[in-house]
Amino acid sequence: MSVTVRLPGALRDTTGGETKLTASGATLREVIADIDRRHPGFAARVLDPSGAIRSYVNVYIGEDDARARGGSNAAVPDGSEVMVIPAMAGGS
Amino acid sequence: MDRMRLVLSRKLRDEIFAHARESAPQECCGLLLGEDEVARKVLRCRNVHPTPETRYVIDQKQVFEAFRQSRDFDRELVAIYHSHPRSPAYPSPTDRAEAQWPEAAYVLVSLRAEPPEIYAYRIGEKGVREIPLVDP
Repeated sequence: MSVTVRLPGALRDTTGGETKLTASGATLREVIADIDRRHPGFAARVLDPSGAIRSYVNVYIGEDDARARGGSNAAVPDGSEVMVIPAMAGGS
Repeated sequence: MDRMRLVLSRKLRDEIFAHARESAPQECCGLLLGEDEVARKVLRCRNVHPTPETRYVIDQKQVFEAFRQSRDFDRELVAIYHSHPRSPAYPSPTDRAEAQWPEAAYVLVSLRAEPPEIYAYRIGEKGVREIPLVDP
């Protein structure tokens, strides 16, 4: 199972500068773990200690919000594009 | 992309001010899209935070669409803007804690004065740095 993972530059510090990666895995958790093997620390930026997607990170599998498809347990079909996008937030 | 300044026309500043005024007393938020340091377009976004009077979260679907449609999002996302209806146009502790886009500029508008105050910053691991807002 091979998928493409796209990240904005805001996350490139976690992947050695790469913003487009190829990864393998049948679930989002497996895909993230595959990247983490090459770029230790990536998983901790995306998932919390319980394995859930962190609240300030959004993940899409194709056009679907991964949270609506089971979170980190979401199936990632072969050939999918996964996008990991930090939230934009703040306040006065 | 190491943005050292932000080129923002009077027309786009007025669009941001209008968005801030229309949203008050809630905070408005949005994106400035363009190339590198030059903003070309204001993309108004929805503030989906449950307490929008003092906080903002840009609707993730709008960020996703902008990211997906962009050929080079890091170049085209020039800045993230939001308003402070009652406090200064300076990044609050919440703004600093939740900033996750160190390469983008952060534009803050304050409605506590008339005309509104507007400033641009970079917010990263090294803290907050104001960058010049310049006319085209």
